[in-house]
Amino acid sequence: MGQRASQSGESYGRSSSLLESIESDPPPLSREPDDSSGGRISRIARFPRRAVLRLRGQGLLLPSVVSAGLFFLVPLALLLVYSFGSVNLLDYQVYFGWTISNYTSIIRSIYLGVMLRSLALSLGATLACLLIGFPVAYTIARARGRRQAVLLVMIMVPFWTSFIVRTYGIYNVISYNGPLDRLLNAIGLVHGQLQSLLFQPAGIGIGIVYSYLPLMVLPIYVALERIEPNLLLAASDLGAGPRRVLRRVVVPLAAPGIVAGCFLVGIPATGEYTIPAILGGGKAVMYGNVVSDQFLSLGNYPFGSAIAMALTVLILAVLLWLRSRAAKVESRTSR
Amino acid sequence: MRQRRVTMSGVITTLVMIFLYAPIVAVVVFSVDRDPLLLHWTGFTVHWYDVAVHDPGVSADFVTSLEAAGLSTVLSLAVAITAGLWFRRASARARRMFDFLTYSRIVLPEVLVALGLFTLMQKLGIPLGLWAIIVGHVVFNSAYATVIIQARFATLGMSLEQAAADLGASPWRVFRRVTMPLLRPAVLVAALLAISFSFDDVVSSLFLGGTSAETIPVLLFGMIRLHVTPEVNAIGAGQMLITTVTFAIAGLITVLRPTGAGEMLGFGRRAAR
Repeated sequence: MGQRASQSGESYGRSSSLLESIESDPPPLSREPDDSSGGRISRIARFPRRAVLRLRGQGLLLPSVVSAGLFFLVPLALLLVYSFGSVNLLDYQVYFGWTISNYTSIIRSIYLGVMLRSLALSLGATLACLLIGFPVAYTIARARGRRQAVLLVMIMVPFWTSFIVRTYGIYNVISYNGPLDRLLNAIGLVHGQLQSLLFQPAGIGIGIVYSYLPLMVLPIYVALERIEPNLLLAASDLGAGPRRVLRRVVVPLAAPGIVAGCFLVGIPATGEYTIPAILGGGKAVMYGNVVSDQFLSLGNYPFGSAIAMALTVLILAVLLWLRSRAAKVESRTSR
Repeated sequence: MRQRRVTMSGVITTLVMIFLYAPIVAVVVFSVDRDPLLLHWTGFTVHWYDVAVHDPGVSADFVTSLEAAGLSTVLSLAVAITAGLWFRRASARARRMFDFLTYSRIVLPEVLVALGLFTLMQKLGIPLGLWAIIVGHVVFNSAYATVIIQARFATLGMSLEQAAADLGASPWRVFRRVTMPLLRPAVLVAALLAISFSFDDVVSSLFLGGTSAETIPVLLFGMIRLHVTPEVNAIGAGQMLITTVTFAIAGLITVLRPTGAGEMLGFGRRAAR
């Protein structure tokens, strides 16, 4: 309690030079001559000081404590506790304990293959996003003025529309005898027996690329836009062909944007539930579905919690790795 | 050589634009197509909209969606504004921890948080339903609103509020007459984004709604999975209109007024998740 008071007192002292200047050197006009202790100015000045102190109190943090603590940290902590528990699959009663059997059974279970395949699918979709998104970002970065603004807005607008409707839209596109089926047939990639992409991993990949492509394009565009044009000129003056300029100058300089884009697409894609649930036809093919199924249909909360925790740790590890890399890049460029 | 590469990426860009827009346009076109099998264009009709509007299930879900969006937005704004006031005074260490909590709510996949809340509600015996959905939406909406409002606070400084306090305004009066008007554009943008995210959310609404509360996106999710009827297109087009318009207004405000939220619009909710 006392510590809290002294903390806010300190911050008050640092930032209230305005208040202090009025108190110590009040404008002579409004000061009443014979009023030495309870003057109007000092009373007014003292009142807000107390009141502002109250407003600054840590009580302001309460709503955030509820939304970030009770609604976010506590549920995650509960999953962590559950992940060390066990369940009786006959009556779905959960027993708490400190067993690591949920974690060891991840490695042994059939789910390991499912999970690895789901991670490979997220990775593949992210790379596909990169391959498609880079040329688009490049085109936008090279465009000028009005054309550039229009292209940027055009990339973003689908992202602003409804997520569920867009997933439904792509469902129509890849469904049996849909436009994509007919196109693939026409160019001869698929023969005779129509092989609908719906309910196939590739179809889910298309859905993810479709939904998350703008998130790949934007950061790459920002990185490309920052490249000093003289560097490209210098590279070609020194005899590098356009291909070489792209490979040795443009791509390395756009690397931060590429990394950011992969992260912005990869993490939500891994945890994606809706797209695979619609395009995968109920088969658990992405990590998000595998986890959800344990809770929603199989009722094995402890095992579900363990694979949820495994995903959380994986994401945190990727984030920390990214941060350390970013720090390294920063120290290299500042040298 | 250089010319050819440019056209290459230009061609890809054109194809990508078609790829991005065609499925959305198709949904809208099908929503006014008379053919109940949705195979061919057989003429214009508003029949499917008529069916959707008069479907009591759809209206009930629409009301649920509005309630979830409205209440979660109000609560998220309360969280974000108080957090912004606190943040200005916090120590560097407290700020770092706070930022970590804010961004982790945005970055972690929604599935994990929703399942955690689902388990917590079961454990505590709290029934799933509208309030559970609202709680789920507040988790991410308050994080986005916090980022937006914090960015605005950072550009404001404190001198105007201090001047008002020095002139004798009570803290509440300072907040109402000085702080809030300065924050208004950012609050408006945060509110519109929260409404749009809430109105478009599937995962939290699906896991936390239980059997008693269903939002429009969850209804669409079920309809698409189980039985595709032409009505889906009409409901979908309507839902899309609402989220897009809300988002577009937020975008316009960001362009026209200082909010400090520029890149938020670019990256949106799914952005960092």
